[in-house]
Formats: sequence, C-alpha cells, structure tokens
Amino acid sequence: MSTLIHCDNLSKRFGSKTALANVSFSLQQGDVTALIGPNGAGKTTLFSILCGYLRADSGSVTLLGHKPGSTALCGQLAALPQDAQFDPAFSVGEQLDFYGRLQGLSHKAAKQETDRVLALVELSAQRKQKAAALSHGMRKRAAIAQAFIGSPQLVLLDEPTAGLDPAHALQIRQLISQLSSHLTGKVSFMISSHNIFELEQLCNKVLYLQHGQLSSPADNNGSDSAEQFLTLLLEQEADQPLLALLQQLPELISVRPGQKNQLVLSYNSNKQPQFDLELLQCLAAHGYRYRNLIKGQTLEQKLFSVS
Amino acid sequence: MPHLVTLLTHTGLYAGFELRRLWQTRSGLMTLAATLVIWGLLFRYAIVPAADLIASRGFTDFISGLFGNNGISQLRSWPAPELAVYWFFSLWLLPLLSLFFTANQLCPDIERGTVRFLTLRSSRSSLVLGRFAGQLVVQGCLILLTLLATLTLASWRAGGITPAMVSAALVILLNLLLVVAPFTAIMAVFSALVRSAKLAVSLAIVSLGLGFALLSWFVFYFPDFLFLFSYIPGAQVIQLLPLHGWQTFKFATLPLWQTALLLSLACLLVKRKAL
Repeated sequence: MSTLIHCDNLSKRFGSKTALANVSFSLQQGDVTALIGPNGAGKTTLFSILCGYLRADSGSVTLLGHKPGSTALCGQLAALPQDAQFDPAFSVGEQLDFYGRLQGLSHKAAKQETDRVLALVELSAQRKQKAAALSHGMRKRAAIAQAFIGSPQLVLLDEPTAGLDPAHALQIRQLISQLSSHLTGKVSFMISSHNIFELEQLCNKVLYLQHGQLSSPADNNGSDSAEQFLTLLLEQEADQPLLALLQQLPELISVRPGQKNQLVLSYNSNKQPQFDLELLQCLAAHGYRYRNLIKGQTLEQKLFSVS
Repeated sequence: MPHLVTLLTHTGLYAGFELRRLWQTRSGLMTLAATLVIWGLLFRYAIVPAADLIASRGFTDFISGLFGNNGISQLRSWPAPELAVYWFFSLWLLPLLSLFFTANQLCPDIERGTVRFLTLRSSRSSLVLGRFAGQLVVQGCLILLTLLATLTLASWRAGGITPAMVSAALVILLNLLLVVAPFTAIMAVFSALVRSAKLAVSLAIVSLGLGFALLSWFVFYFPDFLFLFSYIPGAQVIQLLPLHGWQTFKFATLPLWQTALLLSLACLLVKRKAL
C-alpha cells in the first residue's frame, strides 16, 4: 500500500494562537480517514495546509509524494474546502465545465464529466442555474460535485454533510462509501465532520485533533489486543441484579454504563472468544430483552474515554 | 517543458473564461455599456468633428504648447483626422479606464473562496497570468470595437477605406495594448493585496499619486535622478502623442518590461498569500 499523505511535525501558528502543534500522521491508499475535533481544534487549518491554501510554519507534508500546491497534484487531489463559493456570474455547469478543462479534459469530455458529477449529487436540473440562485444545500452539493470531477486518488472533504437535509446527507455518505469501496476505483478520503456517527459509518481510521495536537490516532477497525468490547443496548435500564449477573460472566474485564439503557462490556477475547454468545444466553435465561449488540465501542465512546 | 505547456494552457483557459465574462455576464455587459457611453461622448464631441477639431485654434495651440509645431504636423500625418483624434484621446483615457475595469482580476475570487477550487486544478501563477491575459484580451476587444467605429466614420467621410487607414488602426491597437498592459499588471498586484475591486482602485490611485509625489520631491532635491520619471508606468504616453505610424513602437520595450516586472510581483504575492 502506498502512502498518500505523510505529515511530519507539522506546526502552524496564527499570532499567539497555536493552530497545529507537531502533527504527524500517515494515510495509506484506500484509507477513509475521519478528522475529528472540537471547534478551533485545527481541522480546517490542517485541511488548508494539505490543499496548499496555507503554508505550515514548520514540519513537512507530502501528498502522493508531492508538496501541497504542486501542479503535479492537479486532478489527483480533490477537495471540498470550507466556505468556498462558486462565481456568481456563471452557471454551476459552466464552472464545472471549466474546472474539467483545467484538469485537462477536452471540451466534450468536460461537459460529460459535469453531467456525471451533477447527477451524482442530484443537481442535473440545476446545471444552467447560477450558484446564487441555488439554496445553501444545493450549493453545498454542487461544491461536493466539483470534488468528484475526473479521477482523483485522494479527496479531502471539510464538513461534507453540514447544512444538508437528512436524505441528501445519506446520499453523500452512500456516494463516499461507494467510491471508497474496493469494488470501484478505491478513492481515498479524509473527512472532517462533527457528526461522529457519520464518520463511524464511513471511516476506518480516526485522527482526533484537540488544541492543535493529534491526541488519539486510533484505528476504527478495532485493536489487535486481547481486550475487546461489546456495546449492549437494553430495552430497559440496567438494574443491580443484571449487573451482578454480568459480573459473573467468564473473562469479563469490566462493565460500565454508556448512554441511556446502554452498557459497555470489555472482555478477554483470547480466553473467551464466544463471549457475545454467553452474554446473549445469560440475558435470555434471565428474561432481559435487548435492542442491539455491537461488537466494539462506538467511536464516540472511544474518543471521549480517551480524551 | 511539460510545466510550461500546462502553464500556457491554463493561462489560455483563464483568458478565455474572462472573455466569456465580458460577453455573457451582467458585469461584463455593464463594462461594455460603460465603455460605449464614454466613447459615445468622445465620438459625438471629438471624433465626428475630428477634422474641424484638428484645425481648431484651441486644439493646435494646446498641442503646440506641449510638443511644438512638430507635434501638430505629426498629428496631421495620420491618414485620417478621426484616427489622430482617437489616438490622442485614447492615449490619455485608456490607462485610467484600465485601472477601473481591471481592478477585479483576483480579489473577488480570493474573497469568495472560488480561488480554492481553482488552485486545486492549476498553479497560482497561471491564475494570475491567465486573469491578466484575459483582461488584456477584453480591453483589446473594447479598443477594437471603438477603433472599428472610428474607421467606419473615417471611411464614410473620406468616401472609402485605404490600406494606410487600416495600417494606422493596427498600429493604434497594438500601441494601446502596450500602454494598458502595465496598468493592468498594476491592478493584478493591487487586486491580489486587497479584498475588493473598489479598494484595489483606491489603493492604486493613492499609491501611484503618492509615488509620483515622492519621486517629484526626490528629484527636486536630486535633479540628477530626473531620468527616473521615464520609468514610471505610462511615462511613454507623453512621448507617443506626437508620433504616428510604426515609429511609435520605439517605446515598446518600456511597458513590456514594466508589465513583466509587475506580473512577477503579482505572482509572488499570490503564491505567498493564504487562501
């Protein structure tokens, strides 16, 4: 697997404020990476440096083996920058055609590509409309469409579903899933969002930025250690007798409450690989009903137990 | 070499897009309308009565005062008085109009963030050069339109168009492009520095005015540096006025290197700018 992004001790300051402090990470081909962090954590700064909009004060960064902003990245790197707007004087279609031409497509191919990407975000009917005439959500989808022109290897999306209605947010998530799947072109993504549940569905890698520092680069596929987690959602609140029963399960390490009616159990998977079955049998035997059982912790549990 | 080809291709694409902005967008059509109004007034009061104007006492006194009798004879050497008057007025007027019409080369896109979409697909240099080339092509179109109108008037009065008139019109077109090029490049620099076209125009006027005043003050105390005036943008205009025909190109190098220098500065500013 080749390295798509390599950041080494990246730092950026704005006056006295540190936006990024010695951020180092690598992204491999095929990764779908979540960039998470509170407001002001440095997510957009990191995106801006990767896209070549900003220069880092120190450290090094390469994308597909090139420095950010290099012309060699044209057509290979695509992005949805935060707050970038289309030119209000031209129609969305004209501008996407032009972007296609800049990416080296012929006049005809650029038009076909515009039709394709507008169809991806269900904006074919808006091809001839000017950006100013579109709603906020439509403008966002048009901006997402521009990121899919051509065949980019790496797509950086800053808050792709913010401001979209649930149906179109789902559509964008499906689009990202489809493009990043092994069956298609295997596009790699880096997605910044505040929607943890969305990132959990899409991403296999997490970068957690806080105060400009990368605090928990965790793998969303689950760790290789013997300690594994189960997240159990019950139909009723867990009472003391149930907790006492669960404590008796073999190889249980801990049980702690999560959100409403939720329990997070950790166990030694090497010694008890069938722990999930044991748990379900225990619940059934004592008449406790459950809504769902998830292997592993949710991304939210991982992040906020670590941070 | 492939980089140069890409740079030139992208520059051409940007220039073409700017040309579409002139003919296909509301702001472009407003520019066209403003040009028509300004030149309409000039046509009505200067170019239509060109033959009379050149013969008038006031005009000849003004030209003689500036350039001596040689200036008058040179102005009368143009193949049509309409072209002579067009030459005279456009040399004064176009640099100023250029400051206003080309002030939005980069700033609206930078402010709006559109430039973030563009720089993912092309270098920042090709953006600067393309926008500059586009503005030059747009101004070339506007000059060509007014020049064609002037030629039509001249041929109507003279009863036909002569090869000398066409040649003179071509000389005027190329010269005017050379005159506006450094001013367009100045606006490339200022539009990279500020957030709006209005601010860019204000900054250009203040900077040029202040620069001229400071240079005058400097030369007053150090007269040996009087030659510096010949390097300021538009300095060749005063020397071009009393000339005609292909001899006007002897001053072509000055605007060319001024333009190259200013565009390099604009490229540098945009390359270093946070978008």
